[in-house]
Amino acid sequence: MPSAVTLNQITKSYGSFTAVDRFSLEVERGTVFGLLGPNGAGKTTLIKILTTLMRPSSGDAFVEGFSVLAAGKEVRRLIGVVPQENNLDRYLTARENLILHGRLHGMKPADYNPRIDELLEMTGLAGRQHDFPDTFSGGMQRRLVVARALVHEPRVLFLDEPTTGLDPQSRRALWEHIRRLRHTMTVFLTTHYMDEADALCDRIMIMDHGESLADGSAVQLKDAFSRAHTYEVDFRGDAGGFREILEGLSFVRSVEQDGTTFRLTLSGEDALKPLLDSAVGGQIRKICLKEPSLEDVFIALTGEKVRE
Amino acid sequence: MLRGAFSIWGRDMLVLRRSIISELISVIAYPLTLYLAFGFGLKGYISDVGGIPYPLFIAPGLISMTAVNAAFDESSWSMWFHRRVQRTIEEYRVTPVTAYDIVIGKIFSGFSQGAIKGTVVFLVILVLTPFRIDFSHLPAYLLCLALASMTFSCLGTMCGTIIDKPENIGRVQSVVIVPLIFMAGIFFPLTSYPASILPAVRLLPTTAVFEGARDALLFGAVPPLYLANLVLTAGICFVLAVYTFNRKMAE
Repeated sequence: MPSAVTLNQITKSYGSFTAVDRFSLEVERGTVFGLLGPNGAGKTTLIKILTTLMRPSSGDAFVEGFSVLAAGKEVRRLIGVVPQENNLDRYLTARENLILHGRLHGMKPADYNPRIDELLEMTGLAGRQHDFPDTFSGGMQRRLVVARALVHEPRVLFLDEPTTGLDPQSRRALWEHIRRLRHTMTVFLTTHYMDEADALCDRIMIMDHGESLADGSAVQLKDAFSRAHTYEVDFRGDAGGFREILEGLSFVRSVEQDGTTFRLTLSGEDALKPLLDSAVGGQIRKICLKEPSLEDVFIALTGEKVRE
Repeated sequence: MLRGAFSIWGRDMLVLRRSIISELISVIAYPLTLYLAFGFGLKGYISDVGGIPYPLFIAPGLISMTAVNAAFDESSWSMWFHRRVQRTIEEYRVTPVTAYDIVIGKIFSGFSQGAIKGTVVFLVILVLTPFRIDFSHLPAYLLCLALASMTFSCLGTMCGTIIDKPENIGRVQSVVIVPLIFMAGIFFPLTSYPASILPAVRLLPTTAVFEGARDALLFGAVPPLYLANLVLTAGICFVLAVYTFNRKMAE
């Protein structure tokens, strides 16, 4: 299947800081692609390059075969963009925001009016179309931004952290809209939320420090990390001094504690017996293999340190 | 061609239409106060300037000042607001419009605001005062005003593009725009300047605006040197505004 999005050895530097380093990627048409990474990983930089808002320091990117460097206008004709922050025009009504977008895409009223009716209906905003966005809740504003990005029927939709700051109901409502777009266009999504990526994306890439760390479907990524041998262990009684003992065992890779429950990453299956034979083995009440979540995969790859 | 510019201009005019009454009240108050204070207050001391009654001498400058101030205000604040607060410039930039469309749209808007507000001040002065003109002089005056509004729109666009802190736009107005306007002979004849600095004052674009506008409105023609100054300044400012915008957006 031909690629909707291609990144070819993209590098973006700001002085001595390299935000993205020789990053390459191909996203097939019709895919919901999720780019995951902590703050500062380079996700937004990549979206800005792909939407022609920023020029790469080297390399080139292509959307539906058009270069962002040589054919920016053609690229912008084919893309819809939902930025991280709502950039609605607060002096225009919801409908006028969509009309302006249609006009900027060279659409005629006969083309944009029915499309806008359809989108307002789809996003549940038809009844509020003559109100100003300032009077909308965060979720409604976000839905309006999504509707605006779809007015000209783009072939590739870029969503940069689309549900950040929304309540769970609004998030799920927005997920529904994104699910409806599946197979009608290519969706390129960045997010911090693992459940969002798990629920929406056909393919997920985890990146950090401007580089790709893992790539595959949610199931593939979790499978790959199920070999990480993470176990949840419950101890009898007071487990106060156990942490130090566990951290001292050569076959224990990491220890996380939550009350009397410990989460241990072991070097392999053969480490189970020495664990049971160790000084704390007699105090184990329950031990079970922990199936990794996408978040475990993410943390394992990008670390636990909080980013600025 | 320029489809994007007209779409952006159309948006700005729709927003202006919604607040036209409050906009006009605020814009009329300032020049009208100056006209009444200077035109009538000083009439007893300055009966005429070069044979022109003093209220008639200052009226064209006040109308032009309203227009260019409105052009500068609209372009600078609008560009700043759309870039820094609403971030709608980013929305425009992910559509097929070009940087030229965005800058030209904002310049059109500044010019339109200047033209509308200048016209209203002109009409108010016409109704409330004995100020009268020969309407056959209007085309030359409007040409002068169009070029001046374009220059100030471009200057405003540049300020709104470069300046990130809003208070600095206010500072540019107080330190650059207002002195340039007041030095250009709205309230007094240029011959009041010492001969040594007069040639420099005559080269100011604002002198070309206000002296040119006065000559156009009172005598029906813009002196060629002033006209050349206006055309050249508007052209240079336009190129600089587009260059500045492109450069800023590439950051």
